[in-house]
Amino acid sequence: MKIHRCFLAALIQAAFLTISSTAAHAQEPTTDGYVTRKEYEDLKAQMLAMRKELEALKKEKGEVSKQERLESHAVADVQKQVAPKQQTAESQVTGDMHKEVVPEAAPSLAELEASLLGTTKFLLAGWAEGMYEQRNGQVSTFSASFNPIFLWELTPKILFDGRLEIEPSGGGTNVNLVNAQISYLLNDYIAFGVGEFFSPSNVFVERFEPQWINKLPDRPLGVYHGVLPNISVGAQVRGGFPIGPTRADYAFYVSNGPTLNTFDARTAGTLDFNSYTDNNDNKAVGGRVGFLPIPGVEVGYGFETSKPGFQGTTFADLQALVQSVDLEITRDSDLLKGRINLFAQYAWSKVDHAVYDPDGSLGFGPLPLTAKRDGGYAEIAYRPTKLDIDFLRNLEMIFRWDHLSADPSGLGDPSETRWTLGLNYWLSPSTVVKAAYEWDKPNGERNRNALFFQTAMGF
Amino acid sequence: MITILNRSVLAAFILLFASTTLSLFAEPKANGKAANTSSTAASSDSYMGLSGEELWSNNCLRCHNIRPPTMYSNAQWDVIVHHMRLRANITGQEQRAIIEFLKSAK
Repeated sequence: MKIHRCFLAALIQAAFLTISSTAAHAQEPTTDGYVTRKEYEDLKAQMLAMRKELEALKKEKGEVSKQERLESHAVADVQKQVAPKQQTAESQVTGDMHKEVVPEAAPSLAELEASLLGTTKFLLAGWAEGMYEQRNGQVSTFSASFNPIFLWELTPKILFDGRLEIEPSGGGTNVNLVNAQISYLLNDYIAFGVGEFFSPSNVFVERFEPQWINKLPDRPLGVYHGVLPNISVGAQVRGGFPIGPTRADYAFYVSNGPTLNTFDARTAGTLDFNSYTDNNDNKAVGGRVGFLPIPGVEVGYGFETSKPGFQGTTFADLQALVQSVDLEITRDSDLLKGRINLFAQYAWSKVDHAVYDPDGSLGFGPLPLTAKRDGGYAEIAYRPTKLDIDFLRNLEMIFRWDHLSADPSGLGDPSETRWTLGLNYWLSPSTVVKAAYEWDKPNGERNRNALFFQTAMGF
Repeated sequence: MITILNRSVLAAFILLFASTTLSLFAEPKANGKAANTSSTAASSDSYMGLSGEELWSNNCLRCHNIRPPTMYSNAQWDVIVHHMRLRANITGQEQRAIIEFLKSAK
């Protein structure tokens, strides 16, 4: 019995010790692989924090991947549109996804091409030519020129066009700015231009001057000899409009005016249109109106009025008027088996009556006169474009008459009339080899007949 | 004598000029319509009864030989026709019809 009590007491003590030992272990860190409640709670808290952090990272990564996917889809969409034959099912899917995500970002092919190449359009055009001229009474010579035309379309409404003339001269090279104009298309019928431009009343300069277009090697009298303006610095408005089945066109401008020559007996009363800065506050006003009764036919009338005298002189109030008429006909003829071009222009200039060198200080006055001049040309060209033989089809025959009256003072250049016969061979639509002979007989002087060979290329 | 000769030549030239002009107008269908019959890429934006090809042919040939549509890119044609619109005083409708033809004819 005593043994039983002792055994029971030992058992109770052992149980107590076990419980107390367990309780004591629960309050202290352990080193036997088990964790305490505190460690467990700490670990749980850390795990929850890490889970939250992981969720945040996943979310962030997901957004980045989504953005990259969108960008790659956009590139794939561009490539797909530029090269539509290379489409695949996968690119179709990505393209559809792209459309869903950014439906407004679906530009046209033209817009995409434009965006890839830029929106402005630049073109270097122009022509080059080389010529041999042998004129009676002058030294025969070769000449050459390069005429680049810079065209810059900033927008479909705004265009800059400028031309240089570069040619060897003496021991160097001459570089001239021929024109430089900024133009703006207001609507289908009106365009504005500002800068240095070809005078609209001088049809030859505006349309036929480039040597791959001009059918003869030289240029007609009257065009650059003070009868017609050729280059104007100012502003212009121009365009065309239909009139029933016909069409009309117009160009009006205000510009620096010509300068009246007053210091030389030979040129007294003539107009210098090559002076691009004005000599007074009055501006020249001019223009041209054309009418096209049927396609390929145009008749026109041009004018320019100005006060060409130097400001503050007795010539300041003199009025100058230039008028011209022109005709252009281009017809394909079955009867003639080819194409016929008829070009003609004639101009008259007049400066009010004045007395030049009134006190004789310049040595030729007093010289009273009303300065009148006139000049122009007519040209016929025929090319057998409807023949079957290539060689003949590329030939073109030209005949031109041109005339310039004497200087108004009667002391300068005499009247001059020329006849020119030319034969061209076209190597391409804009490359031509020309040969021409010109009968030139200034009144009262010996002839200045000339032989020309020229090659010109437009680009 | 020279004056008489000059006047004779001038009279002959004027006669040639006038007779050529009259003979050309005597066959009005020869121009433009010939191009129309061979048209394979007529523009839908016709103007004054003329297709883009006819407008291109009529307006360009007034001054110079026409260059083939393949000679320039579409962007280059945009610039060229813009420039020529200003030079030849054609309308905006004609400009668009010509450009459409040039681009479609390639």
